[in-house]
Amino acid sequence: MIALAADALALAAAYALVALGFVLVVKATGVVNFAQGDLVAAGGVLAALAGDAAGLSGVVVLIAVAIAMAGIGFVLAAAAWLPVRRRPAEAAFITTIAFGLILREGLTLAAGPQPRAVAPLVAGGPVTVFGAAVPRQDLAIILVAGVVMLAQAWLFTRTQLGRRLRAVAADAEMARACGIPATAMVVLSFALATALAGVGGVLIANRTFVAPGGGTGLILRAYIATALGGWGSLPGAVAGAAIVALFETLVATFVSYPAATAGLYLMVLAVLAVRPRGLFGEAVGRRA
Amino acid sequence: MVRRLMAAALLALLTGPAMAGGLSVPVLVPVSGFLSLEGTSQRNGAVLALQGVPASLGLASGVIDVGTSPATAVTALQKALDRGGVVAVGASMLGTQMLAMMPVAQSAGVPLVTVSGTAEITERGNPEVFRFFPSDATAKEAHARYVVEVLHRRRPAIIYQTTAYGQSGHVHLDESFRKLGVTPVFEDGVDISVNDMAPVLARALAAHPDVLVIHLHAQPTALFIRAAAARGVDLPIVAGSAMHQPSTAALLQPAELKGVCAETASSPVSGGSPAMADFLTRYRAAFHAEPDAYAVGQYDGMRMVIDAIEHGARSPAAVQAALAHGRYQGLAMTYWSDGKGNMAHSVEIVCYDGRSRVPQVVKSYTLPAP
Repeated sequence: MIALAADALALAAAYALVALGFVLVVKATGVVNFAQGDLVAAGGVLAALAGDAAGLSGVVVLIAVAIAMAGIGFVLAAAAWLPVRRRPAEAAFITTIAFGLILREGLTLAAGPQPRAVAPLVAGGPVTVFGAAVPRQDLAIILVAGVVMLAQAWLFTRTQLGRRLRAVAADAEMARACGIPATAMVVLSFALATALAGVGGVLIANRTFVAPGGGTGLILRAYIATALGGWGSLPGAVAGAAIVALFETLVATFVSYPAATAGLYLMVLAVLAVRPRGLFGEAVGRRA
Repeated sequence: MVRRLMAAALLALLTGPAMAGGLSVPVLVPVSGFLSLEGTSQRNGAVLALQGVPASLGLASGVIDVGTSPATAVTALQKALDRGGVVAVGASMLGTQMLAMMPVAQSAGVPLVTVSGTAEITERGNPEVFRFFPSDATAKEAHARYVVEVLHRRRPAIIYQTTAYGQSGHVHLDESFRKLGVTPVFEDGVDISVNDMAPVLARALAAHPDVLVIHLHAQPTALFIRAAAARGVDLPIVAGSAMHQPSTAALLQPAELKGVCAETASSPVSGGSPAMADFLTRYRAAFHAEPDAYAVGQYDGMRMVIDAIEHGARSPAAVQAALAHGRYQGLAMTYWSDGKGNMAHSVEIVCYDGRSRVPQVVKSYTLPAP
């Protein structure tokens, strides 16, 4: 049971980073970033390539990938959002899908379609926790994801930059009127979101393997986590990711994989029927 | 100028492939899509086999990527046949594509040479199908016999893929174990999209097996083995042929492979005859990759076709007769048809020692056709 809990927590932690990045862009721009899954896969592939080429340790690779992915986030904002930011939202859906496809096929051409392994964050066999053999890697993922989430929370609640980011997410026009460079803050949101996606990709790739085309399932999980947790809610994204992970681990273990999938989607339907804004979503009336 | 152009055109007409007197052996394989790793091996094996063909044979070839769509494979086959001169086809290892191409090949009277493991392709009475890879029935019998007769385990937990490949293997594993008087204590199918093997591993272990028997595709096989190693599971794991692929072993650390064995038609990286060593050298030089049993099987199949042509077979019917009635000593084994097109009847069991990603051959089986 302890090993199972660690497995669920590790998966939840990795999914939470993916969902957080997804929600950051939604909050900042109102745009659903359909490239998020491909960005997660790209983070994993870059980590695999960096590990192969330079023989770097898992933690060093993690930091390098986060920085590289932030750079890709700037490109994403410049290519897929800035040109269409005054167009209807559907335009950004298409541009983010296109960006994701270009990224995916570009990585496939550069690195090949085959799955790759990423260097572990912490090498070694399982550790004994209350008599149970718990994979060392699961504990490392929980720790790293926890640190990243705390850092993100600290940034948003304790720094001037974070307050500006939140102000732009709440009301870009008012923020601009107050002298906050709204466009720059949105671009920075993209960079942060993409860095989170990259870190999430590295952590997920540490548990599984990674290939350029492996992002399709991840965007679906991010979408479900956000729908469950509430659009625009960062704590909701974490909660939604935890729910997805719980189904994929605990329900799959005690019942079956098909039951876990069916149960998750039934829960999504139930939550949306009873509470359309999600578990932690803001009441629509309050924003008006 | 006009005379030169006409001469060049005439020369092109006379020396182009698939013209009157020219023979062709196209290679239709899944280089892209979810089977790209295996399809690339298949392609490389075929290409290497055709590279050694003397020019005097007048044999042309070409590789066409058929992806994973049956319709694409059928279209590619039809186009190749329409060009004329085709005496045999190196055909996709994907079972659904083979099943789609088979009626076309039978109608054209052109043999298909494949390494597809799907049992059904040789169960439809099609005389044009020749499989240079042990069928699931043969491979899984060896798989089960190794578990019971060599490892002396009698409580297997079977985890298989829910794809056609996995389900076929599961059926034959089940049959083989029951013939040996063994009833599996756990059986479950896993969808190919599943990335977390911890749940199925936990459920399998809850049944108290004494061996884990898996029949999964390449990446899921590696995921399962990694999950078991991460949790310190010390039961032996006997995997399907996907494990023998060097690309699968490359996903794992050598220590994770300790206690893992796999069934395979052959393991070229494990060494063997001088001919296999020469093949290994040439393959590495040509493709900068390690060959696997699919590459060797397709190489052997194409070489048997070329051997038939070198001995005078100049039509599809003659090549078909040579494949159906002849015997050929290939790199991996001696091939002969059981009357249904199953050419490969030997299976090897390879095991990893936990120090290297290169396995050692520990047991060989030559089984009668079912």
